[in-house]
This record gives sequence, structure tokens and C-alpha cells, in this order.
Amino acid sequence: MGLFKRLYDWIDLRIGAREIVKKELTGYLLPRNINEWYSLGSVLLVIFALQVLTGMLLMVYYVPDAEKAFKSVTFIMNDLPYGWLIRLCHAVGSNMMVAVLLLHMLSTLTMGSFKKPRELNWVTGFILFTLVQGISLTGYLLPWSQLSFWATTVATNSAAAIPVVGPYLVEFLRGGKLVGPPTLGRFFAMHVAVIPVIIAATIGAHLFLLKRTGISTPPFGPQEASPPASAPAASYHYESHPGGIPFFPNYALQDLTSICVYFAVFLAVVFYAPNLLFTPDAFVPANPFQTPAHIKPEWYFLANYQTLKIFPSELLGLSVQAAAMTFLALLPFVDRSAQRNPLKRPLFLACTIGGILLWIGLTIWGHFS
Amino acid sequence: MENDGRRKFLGVCLAGATAAAAAAAAYPVFRYLAPRSDAMGAKKLEFAVSDLPEGEAKFFEYAGSSAVLVKTSAGAVVALSAVCTHLGCIVQWEKEKQDFLCPCHGGRYSPDGAVTAGPPPRALAKIPFTVENGKITVG
Repeated sequence: MGLFKRLYDWIDLRIGAREIVKKELTGYLLPRNINEWYSLGSVLLVIFALQVLTGMLLMVYYVPDAEKAFKSVTFIMNDLPYGWLIRLCHAVGSNMMVAVLLLHMLSTLTMGSFKKPRELNWVTGFILFTLVQGISLTGYLLPWSQLSFWATTVATNSAAAIPVVGPYLVEFLRGGKLVGPPTLGRFFAMHVAVIPVIIAATIGAHLFLLKRTGISTPPFGPQEASPPASAPAASYHYESHPGGIPFFPNYALQDLTSICVYFAVFLAVVFYAPNLLFTPDAFVPANPFQTPAHIKPEWYFLANYQTLKIFPSELLGLSVQAAAMTFLALLPFVDRSAQRNPLKRPLFLACTIGGILLWIGLTIWGHFS
Repeated sequence: MENDGRRKFLGVCLAGATAAAAAAAAYPVFRYLAPRSDAMGAKKLEFAVSDLPEGEAKFFEYAGSSAVLVKTSAGAVVALSAVCTHLGCIVQWEKEKQDFLCPCHGGRYSPDGAVTAGPPPRALAKIPFTVENGKITVG
């Protein structure tokens, strides 16, 4: 202990560690009625870190060449010690990241945490959501299996419905008229270099905004006293929580609990249901001349996929989706009432539940269609 | 005091569990990255004697490293490691001079691997082989 204290003193003298710990951890107060849903952001940070780590490990043996990609993935899965574990952690982790991100957005939505002054937190979060979808889509192609090849063909083809530029956009995305070796090259570059850097930068912005505006108070349970009325509403005001609980150790323990619960679910899938996310087509190398029957996108794109199918024209289907996504992205600027308790906002609650049921319904329909 | 003891005990348990979890995560990563033992194994290789003309050398991969077979102008077969003993570069066979040259720092070796010039501290390592029924078996 003496050695540890001397080391801490040494660091403290040079970088002011105690001051940082007091300001950012032990002295960083959170609302007393904070709940476990607020820990999903920390869970997402852990998932992202794990995705980066397993992705780096996969890059050691993965070959981004159409002739060798499938073989290299098979080699990782079958021949390398624990290669299956690293690959499954990456594949299952990407799905988990989308699932937890959806839950994080849902909790933000229901607790009204996106409202003034946190509009930018919501917008950066929404950008992260689209980026995560993008990184999942680009990563899906990399194993170069029948599943990844044809799912990418279907996914990239939907952009063709955009008037005028659509066909060119599809060709640009694919690097050719069809999905082929050039597509693999550009998707690989997007997946391992471009999108992760943008995600990391956007996470930085998201966390910066979180610190600047302060953690929102949940609309449930005992409420804190309102800020002094003299505070000018238009100027910047950091939402502090005097009398709240410290982030460390109190809420850090909740973060750790949520992370442990996440790992229990995540590892249960990895060890007990490793093929949950793979169809038989995932184990056959890509064949551009043989389209397998019933190719479907990943579960989180099924609602989009089904929406495209139920409208008489693809353009209409795309427009409806674009409108829905834009509405969701700009929600804080549309829904401007101060009330945040969903139980006191029947219209909002009805729309939210209706929207979730619609999304689930379309996903199930897309799965069985 | 009793509370302190319990706190310390729980802290030690937590640290132990964390260390065990870290080790459990690190071991697969280490095994995943460690060189594969089968790639380093010295599998026996066979070459036809007729494929190796007199005064020529044949380079090949052996036990995860580079090796060379030479049939000297006198007709003797030699199997050597092709890794220069100076700084690990791969030697080249100079047919006209009938010796090995390491292009990195000008080390020279005779066809049987002995140092003839330059900085190499010792001869090229010899590799076991047999010649039987017109076949050279290395390893």
C-alpha cells in the first residue's frame, strides 16, 4: 500500500491526478433517482472497445481478397487456437451493439432526455446509430460467404430507387456494376479504417456534450429542486446535481453490474447459441453465379427490408423510411414541450409504443415473408 | 475494525476474480497470436536427385525457415540452412564462383557451409538428409 500511495503521490504531483479524480469521479454528482437505464452508455463503450480489440485480432489473419477472404475466415474459425472465440465475439458483439444501442435510444426517448438542452446529445447519438448500422453492413460482406455476398447485393441495390443518381450511387458503392472484388476492398477500408475513426470521434463529441450539459434527471421518482428562477433560460447552464450521488463509486458499481449482465447474455450466445446469427449460407463461399433462395438482411434491417417490399414502388418505400429517420433524428426540435414524464404525455406514449410495435411487426413480417 | 477486515477481504476477492477473468481472457488471445507449432515442425521433404544438377543449388522451406540443397561440382550433396549466421539474411548461391554469398554484408561460405570471407561468425548450420534410390530425403 505504501508503494501504491507513493506512486500515486508521484503522479499527482505531475498531473494533478487527485484533482481530476475529484472533479470527474468522486465529485461528479448524479441525480439521486438515477436508474440502471443510464448505464447503457457505459455498456456500449465496453462493447465498442471489445469490437475494436477483436477486430484488430481478426485483421492479423483475415485477408481482404475475394479469392482468399472466405478461406481466411474458415482458417480463423477451424484451425487457429481460439480463432472461433475471437470471430464469434466480433460477430455476436456487432449484433449486441445494435441491440443495446436501440435500448439506449429507447430509454433516452421514454425519459425525455433528448429535450432541451440535450438536442445535440440526441443528434450525435442518432449519428452514432447510423454509423453502427454502416459498420455492421460493411463488416457483413467481409467473410465473403454466400450470405454476406447476396445480402450486400440486396442491401446496396436498394439505393438504386433514388431518382437520377440511384444507379450511379449503387455502382459507386460497389465499385462496379455488381458486388465483386472491388466492393470487398472498399467495404474493408470503410469497416476497419473510415467508419471506426468517425465513430470514435462522434463518441468523443457525445461524451463532451454529456459532460457539458450534465446528466438529465429521470422524470420518475423524487425530483430535485428546480434551478434558480433567475438563471437566464437562453444562456448556457450546466445541470449539476447538488446533494446527488457520486459517480464513483456509487454509479460506477451500477455500470459494472450492467456490464456484467451484458457479458452474461453476450457469452451465453457465444458459447451456447453460436449459430444463432448464421444461416447455412454463411458457411458456403460466395458464388456470384448462384443466388441462394430467401436471402434476408440482418435482423435490424428486416423492418427496412419489409417496408421496401410492401410499398408499390421502391422509391416510395425509401422515401417513407427517409422521412421516418429524419423525423426521429430531429425529434428534439419537433417535440419541444418541457414535460418529460411519458405517463403525463399520452400522445407521445401512444406514438412511441405504436412505433415500436410497428417496427417489431415489420421485423417479424420481414423474417417470415 | 471488523468492517475494515470485511472490506479488505472483499477487495482481495474482487481483485482475485478480476485477475482470474483477465487471465482467462488473455490466454485465448495469446494462443490465437502465438506461432503455430505445426508450421514450425520439421516435416520430411523428398527431392529427386535428378532434379539437382551438378554445381546447382535448390532453395526450399524447411522447419519454418529457409534451407538449401547443393550438389557440388564433385558430385557431393549437401543440405544447409540458408540463413546467414551473421545477421539472419538469406544467402544466395553463386554458380560461377561455386560458393554462397550473403548480400547483406558480403559474407561468403563454401559449398559445404564453411565461412570463407566476411563477418559471419560461424558456418551455415547443416541439415540431416539421406540419399537413397535416387531420392534425397531431408529431415
